[in-house]
Amino acid sequence: MPDMVTLTIDGQTVSVPKGTLVVEAARQVENLIPVFCYHPKMAPVGMCRMCVVKVGTPKMDPATRQPVVDADGKSVIAMMPRLQTACTTPVSEGMVVVTQDSEVEHAQRGVLEALLTSHPLDCPVCDKGGECPLQNLTMGWGPGKTRFDYNDKVHFEKPVPLGDLIYLDRERCILCARCVRFQDEIAGDPVLGFYNRGRAWHIISQSDPEFDSKFSGNTTDICPVGALTSADFRFKARVWELQPIPTVCNHCSVGCNMTFDTRSNDIKRVMPRENDAVNEIWLCDRGRFGHHFNTSKQRLTTPLVRKAGKLQEATWEEALSIVAQQLDGIRSTTGGKAIGGLAGTSLANEDLYAFQRFFRETLGSANIDHRSGSALDLPLDDAGAQYGIRSGTDLSTLGKGTVVLVFGADPEEEAPVHLLRIRGINTRGGSVITLNGRPTKLDSIAKHALRYKYGSESAILAALLKPLLDSTPADGKRATLRGFNDLVAALKGFNLDEQASGISADKLNTVAELINSAENLVIFYGRDALTAGASVPAGLANLLVMTRKAGATNSGLISLLKGANARGALDLGVRPDRGPNYAALSNAGLDAKQMLSAAREGKLKALYVAGVDPVGDNPAAAESLKKLGLLVVQELFLTETAKLADVVLPVLSVAEREGTYTNAERRVQRFRQAIRPTINARPDWQILQALANQLVSEAVLSAAGGDKSRKQTRREEDKARVRSEWTYASPAEILMDIQANVAGYKGVSYASLQGPTGQWGRQANENYYFDGTSYQNTGGLGVQLPAAVETSSIQTLQPFSVSTPASVADRPWTLVGATFLYDDGALLTDTDLLNNRKAKAVVALNPVDADKLGVKNGERVTVSSGRGSLSLPVHRTKLAPEGVVVVPVGVNNVGLVSVVEGGATPVAIRREA
Amino acid sequence: MLYEQHKAEIDGILARYPVDRKRSALLPLLYLAQDVYGRLNRDSIREVAEILDLPYTDVFEVVGFYTLFYNEDVGKIVLDVCDDVPCCFCGAEELVADLENRLGIKAGETTKDKVFTLRRVKCIAACDQAPVLQANLEFHNRVLPDKVEAMLTKLRNDVEAGKPVSISGRLAER
Ligand code: SF4
Ligand code: SF4
Ligand code: FES
Ligand code: FES
Repeated sequence: MPDMVTLTIDGQTVSVPKGTLVVEAARQVENLIPVFCYHPKMAPVGMCRMCVVKVGTPKMDPATRQPVVDADGKSVIAMMPRLQTACTTPVSEGMVVVTQDSEVEHAQRGVLEALLTSHPLDCPVCDKGGECPLQNLTMGWGPGKTRFDYNDKVHFEKPVPLGDLIYLDRERCILCARCVRFQDEIAGDPVLGFYNRGRAWHIISQSDPEFDSKFSGNTTDICPVGALTSADFRFKARVWELQPIPTVCNHCSVGCNMTFDTRSNDIKRVMPRENDAVNEIWLCDRGRFGHHFNTSKQRLTTPLVRKAGKLQEATWEEALSIVAQQLDGIRSTTGGKAIGGLAGTSLANEDLYAFQRFFRETLGSANIDHRSGSALDLPLDDAGAQYGIRSGTDLSTLGKGTVVLVFGADPEEEAPVHLLRIRGINTRGGSVITLNGRPTKLDSIAKHALRYKYGSESAILAALLKPLLDSTPADGKRATLRGFNDLVAALKGFNLDEQASGISADKLNTVAELINSAENLVIFYGRDALTAGASVPAGLANLLVMTRKAGATNSGLISLLKGANARGALDLGVRPDRGPNYAALSNAGLDAKQMLSAAREGKLKALYVAGVDPVGDNPAAAESLKKLGLLVVQELFLTETAKLADVVLPVLSVAEREGTYTNAERRVQRFRQAIRPTINARPDWQILQALANQLVSEAVLSAAGGDKSRKQTRREEDKARVRSEWTYASPAEILMDIQANVAGYKGVSYASLQGPTGQWGRQANENYYFDGTSYQNTGGLGVQLPAAVETSSIQTLQPFSVSTPASVADRPWTLVGATFLYDDGALLTDTDLLNNRKAKAVVALNPVDADKLGVKNGERVTVSSGRGSLSLPVHRTKLAPEGVVVVPVGVNNVGLVSVVEGGATPVAIRREA
Repeated sequence: MLYEQHKAEIDGILARYPVDRKRSALLPLLYLAQDVYGRLNRDSIREVAEILDLPYTDVFEVVGFYTLFYNEDVGKIVLDVCDDVPCCFCGAEELVADLENRLGIKAGETTKDKVFTLRRVKCIAACDQAPVLQANLEFHNRVLPDKVEAMLTKLRNDVEAGKPVSISGRLAER
């Protein structure tokens, strides 16, 4: 228990931890002191003076240093001579606070009167109207009349754009600096500022491009007036007409809680939904503005069937029976092994579970994957579940004593809201260590920002593990570490080649010491780490084990996989080598790459693709797919793969249906149906269920003719495999099935996901307190699954080895494929607002290197590896370290996929004439 | 280009501060940029930001805050006349009117030949010498009507003679 301080507020006694601000203490007794500039997520500044109160403290006798008492033995209170701002005044023992009396009221009216002297009468046309703290506080505390001459109002040009996403109306701004402070303190993008002084004071953004931040939308939420509005929502609806439907962002693995605010069956805006354990009250701009795909005119609206070489509209009955018949045909002639299935990481858990059931049970095929079979696929990551962050961890509470190690990851691009959370841990006194091959934004706050040379990742980890190993006493403790001797053997004689790795052994010793002495250790790893070989996630897991933090409170791995539900796909066995809950399989199936080559060789007859776009990811895959007897694509859009399909089955989007996702921290969260579908599409699971049921009866049908005895055996086999007809009435029922059959998901149901709601207490009736926007979470906080290591008593070190990449003489450069938040992915369809921010099809090259090659910005180079080459214009930037070239993943026409070999790839670069 | 052209001076300024506190050199660098370019526009502000590794917006904030950073064109010599209360008692308004008359401009404007800019400012902490004005930060005390002509002539001659002038007071500083 921290030191408690007791004070009285308007006669009410309240005890709060030392250091609490008066404004927060008052809130605990439901005394809502009005504020404008104060925001509980940011340091107080005392700029607006709205929160003034009277404060007194016990009078002390200077001689005895004891409180002076009156005749009744009560402390004499010395009132401070002037009103104090409750938002900057910390409580102290015996303090007396008066929030309501004529003097306070007079001051509050004065503040509001002054604010209103330069505020326009815009409410009827202002987007904030209806959820505006200025409106609310004026009603509650404002003067009825103004002494100000209306003609003296300050006028500014009406809204000016701050970049593409945000508009600023300077007349409405009350200069509270919430937006500036959010950008400086929380986002770490200091791109907003104040210009001029006095009545000409106003907000500016002079970054290039303007308001250059991936978090800009949050400022429209916390702005206490309608000065900052989003280009997406401006003039779209009055807020009181909106119906907020709880949902979960499906753009990345953070799984931010949000609402689709709808009116007339249309999504008008996206708002954060408070969940401290996930996104607090923030969203990134991709999540906030990237909702247009749901309502895109480009969506598939009806099933399509290839007839006479062309995809033509068909009924569901027709399309499904074609698929069922053909699958059944292949199943009974060649067996399930000739059928492959890909189901993507944007699908809900319910879909993914149904998908693998459909394959394993109905079709008898183990050829399942959630990847597209391209060279840019990430390896299957199990460490993130086995050694995942311990359940119950809430990053928003971590600070002092916590070390965050970011290894081979760029959270800003891969999982943006994690960047805010890591920054928060740093602000609260934790330490951040970045170990990356290239610079990232987190480096600026990192205690140690270390840059390794690509290829030396496992050596770096070895250098971190070695001192930990050496300091582990040779006593009984070692015996509880399975794999200890293997690790010792792997590190035997290891010496860090400082030249080759780019970091000194001393530095790494310091880091090892820091993580060893940390109370909590949180390790983030992303694309760079995942593609650097199996020893990297293994080495990171071993770091946890060797520092006794595997499965420990507030510690563990967070793997920044691509896609909102990549963890769900791995957990539920949408992979060839393991079943649900990582269950080992006796016979592994083909992975996506193998399926494509099997198709090319004619061994795979049918491919069923749901939410994956192999051809979009790798145009060369088209050759393989054309060899198939049957290609079924279940999709939102007519993707490049869908264009080749025999049957295309349109699905409902996240906004049109129910389901759950599992995020990077293994939190299962539920999304709701926000809009009524207006197209002839179905949820993925329903399609799979219909097919599964048809195939059971088809099996019976096809067993009727031909070689009776053989058909009979097949039928018996099918029967044994197929448990029964599928009768899921809703995804909730599939989740019940999941929780019954997948050990890790025990206890997860739609009821438990509904979970406790609300944290730092934003209640609907309290909106005016912090700002006007309701973040109230009525949709539940989700359930975090335990990591495997939490439930096992023996700690296992993962197989680890140090590899040194052979340098290739004529390919001296390193090519790295990097994830960027704004890519050409289908989920950004129709979100044109973000177009200018999208990663460009360029090669990022360090200016020093560019000079060596003699290339200017925009000139083309050819980059070639052992596999192939690409040709792109050059962008000179220090974001590429010397010797490294960075090309974006997921951007059209970069040709990256035909050049990379796994992760960082040795390449030659040639300037094009 | 600012850096390339004034390398010695800029390095000298930077050397006054620890390497990790480069931002401390902001004001002197802005003075320099303002002198070199005659005003601080978007490009010159960005140049300074880049020399100091500061976010552009931060530097704009500073320029916007101080009245002695000019974000629009000014003459070679900026006359800042104090029109606060003590100076007013001693003839500040008459002084402003006199200057407006002689220069043919209104306060806030710049002469056609771009030599003088006339501005009204608030107390510049020399009330005992009222009425006062600053010409590029150089104080001119007790500017009573009989002194105005001579002062303007001298300033104009200095400019015409090519004597280095500094609208930022950068040279006056030494
Ligand atoms: S724009 Fe909004 S948040 Fe920013 S200072 Fe003005 S009122 Fe405050
Ligand atoms: S951080 Fe990820 S989950 Fe959160 S809003 Fe952004 S894209 Fe969506
Ligand atoms: S001064 Fe306290 S809320 Fe603004
Ligand atoms: S009033 Fe003019 S200098 Fe003080």
